[in-house]
Amino acid sequence: MTEIIEILIQILFILFIISFPITLLETDKKSKIFTFSLIDKLSINLIFLINILFFASILNINSKYLLYSYIVSVIFLYFFNFRKFNFKSIKIDYYFLVLLSFIILISIDIAHELYFAWDTQVHWFFKALNFFQDQEFKNLKNLPVSDYPHLGSYIWSFFWKFPSNSFEYLGRITYAFIYVLSIFSITECLKVNIREKIIFAILLIFLTYNYELFSGIQDVLVFSFILIITKFAYYFFEKKFISNRIQLILILLGAANILCWVKNEGIFYTFFLLFCIFITNNLTLKNKIALITGSLIIISLRIFIFNFYDTTLDTSYFEFEKTLNFEFLLILEKIKIITFYLIIYFSQNPIYLLTIPTLIYITFKYPLKNITKFVIYFLILNFSFIYLTYLFRTVEVEVTIRHNMLRVIFQTSGFYFLAIIILINNYAHLFKIKLLSKYKIKKH
Amino acid sequence: MSKKFKKNFAVLIISFLILSFIHNHNLFRKLYNIFVINFESRLTKKHGYCFRESVGFLRMLKKKYKFNFNPLIINYEDAVPSSAWSIYDNHNNTDKNHKILLNYPKNLFLYFKPLNKIFYSEGTIMYSNGISNIIFDLKDKHIRIDSKIRIFRKILNKKEIIYEENFHKLVVNNQIIPIEFKTKKINSIFKPTFIEISDLNNNQIEKINSIIVNLNHEFSLKDFTIIEKFNNCYYVK
Repeated sequence: MTEIIEILIQILFILFIISFPITLLETDKKSKIFTFSLIDKLSINLIFLINILFFASILNINSKYLLYSYIVSVIFLYFFNFRKFNFKSIKIDYYFLVLLSFIILISIDIAHELYFAWDTQVHWFFKALNFFQDQEFKNLKNLPVSDYPHLGSYIWSFFWKFPSNSFEYLGRITYAFIYVLSIFSITECLKVNIREKIIFAILLIFLTYNYELFSGIQDVLVFSFILIITKFAYYFFEKKFISNRIQLILILLGAANILCWVKNEGIFYTFFLLFCIFITNNLTLKNKIALITGSLIIISLRIFIFNFYDTTLDTSYFEFEKTLNFEFLLILEKIKIITFYLIIYFSQNPIYLLTIPTLIYITFKYPLKNITKFVIYFLILNFSFIYLTYLFRTVEVEVTIRHNMLRVIFQTSGFYFLAIIILINNYAHLFKIKLLSKYKIKKH
Repeated sequence: MSKKFKKNFAVLIISFLILSFIHNHNLFRKLYNIFVINFESRLTKKHGYCFRESVGFLRMLKKKYKFNFNPLIINYEDAVPSSAWSIYDNHNNTDKNHKILLNYPKNLFLYFKPLNKIFYSEGTIMYSNGISNIIFDLKDKHIRIDSKIRIFRKILNKKEIIYEENFHKLVVNNQIIPIEFKTKKINSIFKPTFIEISDLNNNQIEKINSIIVNLNHEFSLKDFTIIEKFNNCYYVK
């Protein structure tokens, strides 16, 4: 019974902590941020919180003090804005209730399964334990795979320690929270009624959920933050948000920074996404400068921290001296192996089975929209990245592929849900018109 | 269709989807288990007491002996990662004198089955310091081998030789043939191992059912004092 209560307290704690700062700061309806939905505001708060956690981790600020100051600020803002809240206008948000139900359901699964994936047992858990036991950032050097980013593990340790400081899986519930939030966030882009949005969100959970994702590996965070970035990137193509672009860029850069510190491949996905936004949108010079400067700051920060803490890149995972010999036959052999496994693993991922044919359909059937180009460019970059990584990372390409390709494919799969959103938002009404006209002709 | 019917129908679908999610992942049963089985037991059930990662045995040791150091953990189980995470403490240093040997096998060996003209081992080995002997399981009573025996791994069609020696012997069925060759190259859980006996014709190869290569332990129990034991899991010093 205590465990169930602790799980519920954990979820309420996460909710409480991510209600700061946007939701509490913004009570003025004329504000630009008011155009964002509740889920968007929670996502922005989450991005804000995780960036704070990131800086706390690299500056070795004790998480206890960070939490105290955060809680004091939240309580202060609640009291400060208390009068401004119109409690009569509060309605039950069914969308949010379903979101919460799924967080609880997945939390039960996590609490029961408890199993750690291989990589978690080998290094991710050690990183989380490092921060849980109040060790400094530089101590990561003494742990396995020290050159891997630490942010996902830091989030795990933070929510493992607070509020109840008991079971490790309470920290992993945050992963479930971020995952469900990101799915409900992307389905909000659909221009259908709220019940249909809920159905789509649940179906997306059905297609992607399995416990393995929450066994301590970081791929689910990459998947979720790519979905959150996709959601805010989608707003770039919406007329309603043209005046909000600078805010959108700031949000994107915040999420991009997180993605860079969750897994190494996150750096590439971040820049693919930002680059695709850059080339498919008519951005003003101010926006362009903000996007480029922000991206440069993110990458410089990564390099600076890497050098500052004297983190050495573990070259045993890379065999460039053997792989960069450009032996034509060897490369051909590797391409054959990569393509074979790519097809196998694609067929095992239902999102690709649904979205790629949809993308092909909307590309060839209808005139190309900027947002469709955005998806296509990312697809090309993503595929090139997969091929190049497996071609040149190690000699034993098959072992590496069998070890992690399924997860690599999963990481970006959520992004392609955009193809279904484009189809439904832009072309679904054409089906209705066609059907109606056929019906009218028949009736006539 | 009326608006109300549409709304109710959508609610019905949502409820159905939530229920099927609960059913698919057996969440009521899991909720019940969380109520009745404590965290430690659930964790041990998932990672094993003295099998697979043997987390149960490790956590028992940590509780019983209140370690103020991180012992060296060696798990002989094939295809499981190190379970050091389950008792690791960042405040402590590693003491390699204290060792925990999990799933310790009496004999370390690789079993090779015929595969076309070579022999292939499905199993892998991690903690061996060399080859002890070799045994041929034959269809006949004996076979004459005048050739070179080569034990190797394949990395993208390139051979990594572990052992290569001339072999001129009349091999009797299941006879132990001592080799005594020190190598750590045989230790790998990722790469399959092969035996090639060159100059052996198809007829001769067909007469060999299998080959067993016995290996020496890197950590022999004889060299340590056993502090705690459960089945084939040991805490030694």
